[in-house]
Amino acid sequence: MSYIPPVLKILVIEDHLGDFILIEDYLNEIQSDVDIKRACTFEEAKTILKSDIELDAILLDLSLPDVDDREILVKDVVEFSNRCAVIVLTGFGDRDFGVKTLSLGISDYLLKDELNVSQLSKSIFYSIERKKSQKQLSESEKNYKALFNHSPMPMWVLDRNSLKFLSVNDAALELYQYTREEFMNFTVRDLWVNPEPKIEIFVQRKRHDFFGFSISHKKKDGEIMHLEIQSNPISFDGHEARVTLVNNVTARIKAEDQLARSDKRFKALVQEASDLVMILDFNGNFSHVSPSSDLVMGIPADQMLEMNFFDLIHREDINQVKKNILKLKNNKRIQIPSYRIKTSSNEWRWIETVFTNLIMDPAVNGLVANSRDVTEFVNQERKLMDSLQRYDIVAKATSDTISDYDVQKDILKFNEGIFTMFGYKIAEIKVGRAWWRERIHPEDRERLYKNTDEVYKFNKSTLQIEYRFRCADGSYRYVLDRSFLVKDSKGNPLRIIGSMQDITEIQNHIQTIEDHNERLKDIAWTQSHVVRAPLARIMGIIDLMQTHDDIVNQEELLKHILHSATELDGIIRKITNQTEQVTQNFPEC
Amino acid sequence: MLKVLIIDDDSIVLFIQEKMLKKYGITDAPISFQDARKAIDFLKIQKSGDIFLILLDINMPGMNGWDVLDVIREMEISEKVFVFMVTSSIDNYDKEKAKNYKNVISFIEKPISVDNCIKIKEHPELKPYLLD
Repeated sequence: MSYIPPVLKILVIEDHLGDFILIEDYLNEIQSDVDIKRACTFEEAKTILKSDIELDAILLDLSLPDVDDREILVKDVVEFSNRCAVIVLTGFGDRDFGVKTLSLGISDYLLKDELNVSQLSKSIFYSIERKKSQKQLSESEKNYKALFNHSPMPMWVLDRNSLKFLSVNDAALELYQYTREEFMNFTVRDLWVNPEPKIEIFVQRKRHDFFGFSISHKKKDGEIMHLEIQSNPISFDGHEARVTLVNNVTARIKAEDQLARSDKRFKALVQEASDLVMILDFNGNFSHVSPSSDLVMGIPADQMLEMNFFDLIHREDINQVKKNILKLKNNKRIQIPSYRIKTSSNEWRWIETVFTNLIMDPAVNGLVANSRDVTEFVNQERKLMDSLQRYDIVAKATSDTISDYDVQKDILKFNEGIFTMFGYKIAEIKVGRAWWRERIHPEDRERLYKNTDEVYKFNKSTLQIEYRFRCADGSYRYVLDRSFLVKDSKGNPLRIIGSMQDITEIQNHIQTIEDHNERLKDIAWTQSHVVRAPLARIMGIIDLMQTHDDIVNQEELLKHILHSATELDGIIRKITNQTEQVTQNFPEC
Repeated sequence: MLKVLIIDDDSIVLFIQEKMLKKYGITDAPISFQDARKAIDFLKIQKSGDIFLILLDINMPGMNGWDVLDVIREMEISEKVFVFMVTSSIDNYDKEKAKNYKNVISFIEKPISVDNCIKIKEHPELKPYLLD
């Protein structure tokens, strides 16, 4: 395929017909397909130019009938040329003017007398190409200006030496809140928070180089910003300038600050906490030990890393620990009951560990062991266990029935005494106070309720009371119940610990003694009357006989005395017999 | 007029007390009852205007001393009846019980003594009616 050049569109502004025909010939010689338009006057030329016709070049003869001032003619044609190439044709005598026209915006000038095809062709094509380049250059400059002005990044251009602003983009105005006019009166020093002697030296030294640095600037309202500056040397409107890009990193620095703080906090939590954090494999080899190892075990973390976990554990606990760790093969997390580890001072400390299997986590790749020193707790627990065991032993050893009543939950518990003493199987006992109350002898209930109520009412802590308690077989046994009320710190009752002692035998003895006493009293009373009756008679008769000289029938009176004395004797014998009977019936204590 | 009654189931006691009352001038003619019921019958037919002193035994078969007092309390002449309780052995229970009976003035422990007789004579209600 052969190259077909585009149609060359030329306007020839020439009043002289001979010259036009000559130019037309030349043009047709340059290229077969040439679209030539002719204007004989400037008016004609203007009409054509205003008609928006597309042209590649204008050939302008300076001597036109309707134009006096050739300079104005050139300027007007250039203005109306719509940026196409304008080539001036002049006579030999006008060479100086021809040169001058170059500064008015024309592309070339040619001397008519020396005109030939090659010269004309060269001039036309050269001018067209140059125009094209100019056009492109202008477009690209426009683009760059737009890029500068509309960039979302704040930018400015400043004089490399004076640091005075030459141009500022919209983003910079928005960031600093100054107007363009204000900026234009500033040097960059006006934005600094403090004088920056180091920056001054740095900028001076790197005057012709690219550089970047961090700096704080203040806004119009005084707010301080942290910025990262990048600056390139450029030439701007003939100045030694630099274009500077500003990156506001205030928010980022704040965020970084916060992040650093939270990072620090996290590290503190892990490292300074009393918990011991270790990462190990199933064989007990450590891959990480937290610094608290020094605190918990007295062994610095780096020394721990050289050791094996299982070597640190007490012989009696090792199997339990190993067994539990193996469970991690199927479980994500397990808690190992407390076990002993050896400290640097050869002491045993009790620790409790939660293991988490993070072997599949590439960031960890091990078993994470979180351990806590529970020695104090274990010791306390042991003491408590000891005391509870003692309590249990005492409860078993005593023949009393021990009751433990949870006031808040209404749960009543007994030791074995409730079976051995009363015949209730532990399982039969329905929890609660009501169960106990139902089994109290009806005659004792009111007194008992009154007494127990008083314990609560007057905030007493002990109660000792006797009552009858019904057995599983329906019979009653006398009990001496000693209760102790356990209170919380506010004095509210929590538990009542009671000890029921079976006093049926004693009670029976007492009852028997009281019965006998009563009987003896009866005997004594009635018999003192019976005894005194004959005695009183005897005394009365004797008194009569002593004081009544005139009593005639003394014999009769003596008979009465004898009768009464016999009666008295009989009575005394009877008393002796009865008393002997009481003594025989009395049981041995 | 003062009428003196002795109520006791023991005849010897009655005999002793009759003698003592006469000797110490309380009455010349004591009226003795071995059966309390007969004493009540006697009192029932008495007219008002008289005054009565009774020596009353507590422990008697059938109607005892307290039963007698219960009847007397309801009688019209009740206010004019003054009773000395006579018993072989005084206990507090009896004394407490006697407080419920206005007619009971005092207790005498057998055998009746000279001092008892003097005390009867000195009693302000009875004194005007006694001999001497």
